Amino acid sequence: MLINALNGLVYGSLLFVLSAGLVLVYGLRRVVNFAHGALYMLGAYIGWSVATLYGFAAGVVAAGVALAAVGVVLDLVLFRRLAGRQPLITVIVTFGVLLILEDVVRSVWGTGNRALDPPAALDGVVEIFGAPFPVYRLFIVAASAAMAGGLAAWLRWGRTGLFVRAASHDASVAAMCGVRTAAIGPMVVGLGAAFAGLSGIVAAPFLSIHPSMGSEILVLSFVVSVIGGLGSFAGAFVAAMLLGQVQSFGTVLLPELAALLPFLLMAGVLIFRPQGIAGTKG
Amino acid sequence: MTALLELERVEARYGAARILNGVDLAIAPGERVALLGRNGVGKTTVVNTLLATAVKCGGEIRVRGERIDRLAGHTAATLGIAVVPQGRKILPNLSIQENLKLAAALRRKGPWTLDAVYGLFPILRERRHTPGTALSGGQQQMLAIGRALMLNPELLILDEPSEGLAPVIVDELGVILRDLAATGVAILLIEQHLRLVRDIAERYAVLSKGAVSAAGRMAEVDQEQLQSSIMH
Repeated sequence: MLINALNGLVYGSLLFVLSAGLVLVYGLRRVVNFAHGALYMLGAYIGWSVATLYGFAAGVVAAGVALAAVGVVLDLVLFRRLAGRQPLITVIVTFGVLLILEDVVRSVWGTGNRALDPPAALDGVVEIFGAPFPVYRLFIVAASAAMAGGLAAWLRWGRTGLFVRAASHDASVAAMCGVRTAAIGPMVVGLGAAFAGLSGIVAAPFLSIHPSMGSEILVLSFVVSVIGGLGSFAGAFVAAMLLGQVQSFGTVLLPELAALLPFLLMAGVLIFRPQGIAGTKG
Repeated sequence: MTALLELERVEARYGAARILNGVDLAIAPGERVALLGRNGVGKTTVVNTLLATAVKCGGEIRVRGERIDRLAGHTAATLGIAVVPQGRKILPNLSIQENLKLAAALRRKGPWTLDAVYGLFPILRERRHTPGTALSGGQQQMLAIGRALMLNPELLILDEPSEGLAPVIVDELGVILRDLAATGVAILLIEQHLRLVRDIAERYAVLSKGAVSAAGRMAEVDQEQLQSSIMH
């Protein structure tokens, strides 16, 4: 029971960090980024390549830095132009990016599954109330909490975080106040992509690495966004934790329905609170 | 003396709709100028051209004699031009204090700090942690003015500051703006409320059909002449 709840927490934290990147980009650019899952996958692959050569920590850094760069390029080339366009156009374009990145990964790394062992320091199990639990999963929770907490603190108290919040609400007012809004876009999308990449490499030893891992988790992180209310970090947090538990207990208690449960949950939320947990109407 | 801000035959448009057809306007350092005109003649577009939300498609803008060719959203702020926009544009997702801190983005040196603004508007200090939009209309106007001051501007542009305010609050606004003018900041006041204009401005320019149709010194016209030049 407790172990199930802990597993749910692990999966929920991972989903939250991934969704936080989605929320960040949507908040500023109003672009629903379908390529976000592909960025997560790319992070896992780049991290895996570097980690097998230079160790896990180097892999994590590489995934974060490489994906931040990819995010900056994505914003400068695409997202900047997508802001304010019809949702359908942004969906088609970002979905195209997803397909391109998946193909890039297939041609560079092949279609097979890759496995990454947790670093030695985090390998092993601890006993939690008598039940064994992998240390690495606790690390996922801690790493996610650190990333989410860091992001929240930066947005809440940081100078640049303030600029990001202002520009997300009204870029022209932020610019009028002297904020270089042209620089905020690439920074935010870079950060969002780095979050996707980091969650990819952190997830790699827990889940497995394969070219469709991005699409699989993307669907769930959209479920998180819809349940939480688009553009809300608090809503995404509650939704990710909820979904983590639903996934974890669902696989144990209702294995034949487990794959369906997130969507039932989403349908339920959409019926009773279409704007999501923390969303605002309209 | 070099003008602080100078517009020469400035043309501007939104998309395909051309609004300004050659506006000439100059403001000297410390000078108080009123930009008048009926609704829809393009007064706000003059501001929006400086803020790059309207597209400048002709003419020249000079700040302290220097030609500004590329306007981006933050250009005006970097040049020391602060705007109190029409409708105040207080960001509802930021607290009062955050709204003020936002405008310190460039860290321009000058007398206006958070404490100085709170000294001018004590109500803002009292309520600094509440969202800016929780304030009354008059208080929001104070916040918008305080935010513009946080830039430590050399030119303060106010677009319809009396709009939607009760007469007694407009009087208060007049006092505040006169006090500000005494600090040496130049003011461009876009306003329909002629009494407020008379209180503040030394010179006026009337905008009509996207160009300046009349201009002069405030002391040399009476209310009726001013009124009729706006109507024509």
